[in-house]
Amino acid sequence: MRTHRPEPHTLAGAYALDALTGADRARFERHLALCQQCAQEIRGLREATARLAAAAAEQPPARLTERALAAAARTRQLPPLTRGSRLSWRRAAARRHGRAAAVRGRTPGRAWMPRLALALAGAAVILAGILGLTVRDAQHQLQQDQQHARIIAAVLTARDATMFRGRVSTGGTATIVMSAREHALVFAAAGLRPLPPSRCYELWLMGPRGDQPAGMLPEPQHGMTGPMLAAGLKPGDHLGLTIEPTGGTPHPTTTAILLLPL
Amino acid sequence: MLGRVARGDQRAFEAVCRHIAAPVFGTVRAVIRDVPQSEEVAQEVLVEVWQCASRFDASRGSALAWVTTIAHRRAVDRARSEQRSAERERQAAAFTVTYDDVVETAEANLDAQRVRRCLRSLTELQREAVTLAYYGGYTYRQVAAPLGVAAGTVSTRMRDGLIRLRDCLGVQP
Repeated sequence: MRTHRPEPHTLAGAYALDALTGADRARFERHLALCQQCAQEIRGLREATARLAAAAAEQPPARLTERALAAAARTRQLPPLTRGSRLSWRRAAARRHGRAAAVRGRTPGRAWMPRLALALAGAAVILAGILGLTVRDAQHQLQQDQQHARIIAAVLTARDATMFRGRVSTGGTATIVMSAREHALVFAAAGLRPLPPSRCYELWLMGPRGDQPAGMLPEPQHGMTGPMLAAGLKPGDHLGLTIEPTGGTPHPTTTAILLLPL
Repeated sequence: MLGRVARGDQRAFEAVCRHIAAPVFGTVRAVIRDVPQSEEVAQEVLVEVWQCASRFDASRGSALAWVTTIAHRRAVDRARSEQRSAERERQAAAFTVTYDDVVETAEANLDAQRVRRCLRSLTELQREAVTLAYYGGYTYRQVAAPLGVAAGTVSTRMRDGLIRLRDCLGVQP
């Protein structure tokens, strides 16, 4: 049987209805990644499918919500992706551009850290201020960015800060600065392979107590991803990176493409 | 409200659950049909909303669209992993999900009335293609055979149908 292949754009409806699988889906997502107009159309069509869902609303047994609340109380939330800290990382990166080679492999990489921390905290505040004019919850955004930048700065400037580098098996390199005292690490990566919209990179703290999700990586900006903060480090943890369905998963479903002992 | 959930506010999450549990459960049940499995998947969806609340971006669409997209995707993933696709295809041929089948069990609500009115403005083929995919969880290739048309025609009708539905409902991101 001849397999008919419709124009990618005509698959937008099927995609919004989750009616694409396998190669069809991959093909449309490749198209979607390059088509701003399609992404906008998908958003509109998703609003329509949301009403199909609302129309099918059916009150579940009360135990459903009770169980979800109980499970949520045991489930760690994924950290927010704050625009401010991501942009400020780029600014800081630009400042130390040309000095990266000197930093490579130095442990701990103290020389650039105070400057980076200062840049992070400062830029986050300024950016949050600018964003605050357009973002609905300006005050909250500002506080979140400041807090995020503060924790990142605390890790980077910690007395026991240690830097690791690792190669991601699917392409790209990761840089991690870890502080055992702060029980946290800062993760950043460069040159990661772009993923289709249905997939994301997810970070994990993998250890004797099981695999804990540590957040999904944000979209790269000019080839740089992060910084991401992962808190709650325990002795014996490894840092893992996997490719997962968008939205992330509670447990890794694919083989780690980066695994670093901490 | 999702902003408060993102900050770990469990009471806010409880309030969100009160709003979304019915559309989430109804959507999942339409696709999976088996009630215990639907409860399990719906619970996973609610926990994912808790876990990923900080990733919700209001500039990219409504909270309802974000939540129901998660719910529908999880439901079809489960349905497709449960059954081999050939088997599902046979079922699609024998089983036509009509909108009335779904809303019969759904609560009478304003959304249902508006959606019903707007679905009437679609051509029969558009309506069948959209409802089979959404409420039946079938792929566009699977619905082609029972509708007796080419897969390419189905994909076009799905898009045209959803655009018409979106415009009729007056929903824009």
